[in-house]
Amino acid sequence: MPTRGVQRKRTSRRASSSTKRKPSRRKSVPERFATELVGRVGELKLDYAKREHRTIIAHSYFTTPWKLLPPIYLDDTGAAYTLLVNPSGGLVGGDHLSIDMNVEQDAHVLISSPSANRIYRTEGKASEQHVNIMVGPGAVLEWVPEHTIPFAGSRFRQTLHTTLAPGATLLLWDAVASGRIARGERWAFTDLENEIRVTTASGGSLLERYVLDSTTDLGAVGLAEEWNYVASLYVVNDATASEVWSGLESKIAAILDTRPREVLGGVSAAPIPGLAVKVLARTAPDLNAMLDALWAAARERLWNLPPVSLRKY
Amino acid sequence: MNTPALLEGLRFVDTFFPSGGYAFSSGLEAAVQGGAVKTSDQFARYIEDLLRGGMSRREALAAKLANRAATTGSLNAAVQVDRELDSTKLGRESRLASRQMGRQVIRVAVDQIRAKPVLGEYRDEVDAERAPGHLAVTFGLTMGACGWNPEETAAAFLYQTAVGFISAAMRLSPIGQHEGQRILGEWLPLIERISREVDAETAMSSWSPIQDIYAMRHGALEWRLFRS
Repeated sequence: MPTRGVQRKRTSRRASSSTKRKPSRRKSVPERFATELVGRVGELKLDYAKREHRTIIAHSYFTTPWKLLPPIYLDDTGAAYTLLVNPSGGLVGGDHLSIDMNVEQDAHVLISSPSANRIYRTEGKASEQHVNIMVGPGAVLEWVPEHTIPFAGSRFRQTLHTTLAPGATLLLWDAVASGRIARGERWAFTDLENEIRVTTASGGSLLERYVLDSTTDLGAVGLAEEWNYVASLYVVNDATASEVWSGLESKIAAILDTRPREVLGGVSAAPIPGLAVKVLARTAPDLNAMLDALWAAARERLWNLPPVSLRKY
Repeated sequence: MNTPALLEGLRFVDTFFPSGGYAFSSGLEAAVQGGAVKTSDQFARYIEDLLRGGMSRREALAAKLANRAATTGSLNAAVQVDRELDSTKLGRESRLASRQMGRQVIRVAVDQIRAKPVLGEYRDEVDAERAPGHLAVTFGLTMGACGWNPEETAAAFLYQTAVGFISAAMRLSPIGQHEGQRILGEWLPLIERISREVDAETAMSSWSPIQDIYAMRHGALEWRLFRS
């Protein structure tokens, strides 16, 4: 998806190459662009591979503000746990962060983030985050980042695209808060676009895309305003038996009913092999408790694995 | 729109048309049982919110695009819209209901409107499982074949959907026919505006988390009048 950030970066590259040819005429242009872009256009590229009994990071590349820590092994399964670390704590207008991830055959990767992704107020450009993930044959990706907090006046665009090879498994959690709820700031962002697309080896896809913007009532939050958190969980694998999915669906439906006034949730068979879960929650503890329970149920039913402790707090 | 085109299209909007829509509530039954819809005011707000946030930039947009595909004879464009719409229908019951009603529409349309080969070709795509056959798409194609423009088609789709919800509400709650007509009248300006404002060039999107959740919850209800 072309974005302003990418276009600016390409401009910079073209300017850089021409600088080498004609240093006297163009020198000031690339420096100005480069300075503007430092810490604004952040790329994180990660290739995970299975080596013997463990998943390792085979290749990595990142630019500010992304930082990369070595993978953590939380249990004896060999699954690599990576925290997506952005020390700046959030995105300001004009930021353009990207993640390109490749999980090779039979690797098992668990991704989270150390804290909520804060989107700061902007009077100009939107903040963007674009994630592209390939999950190889038989590989597993558990994507469970902390939720996004769009501040009052913020503008956020997120795309999260995942392509699955045959037999690959994806567990993807994505949650958004209404704002900084503790200070009474709710649904006060300027606009927010979120797009999650999961494509399977057969070419089938699942798409969640919502566009909330304050300029038209077609983009209004509407009845959902009474809730503080909205989240989705997708669990996808094209080789799992239908009775496993129906068993997990029943289990998840029961979990969703455990906090009837604090959480409203639904689960259903997705348009691709797997389950789609939607959750509305009143508070962050409600939301996180729901994630923990849903995630534990999926791990138990799909892989007969216990829940993991992410050791963040 | 000329009168023959009006009459041709009206058949597909009329509740007399055998789409099977009477069997589906699109989650309204679960919302009533769950306590989210208890009064006629709550019902009116619940469906208005769904039409505005959930269906405007998705079904209404798909109906507009399919209408244009019928006019240009572009089968591929309609198939792409249909598949994209299928991808966004995350709940099984809503997805299957839309496909079942859509298939019914395209089958009748092929029998009745023989001058438009795109309808028959599309029915073949649906029968061969190359296109899901969602209602918004087959309805859009059909109305395009009848000579209705994209805006009129989107309005007719939303109107038909709204009538379906009122019909379901009358069976699920103590809403009478007069009350139903009053609520329908309140929705008309919104339906007109959505049909006019939705930009068919934008990407399909949808925001109705509460209604989506109740549609997902329908399958687990202990007793049910409706199939969705």
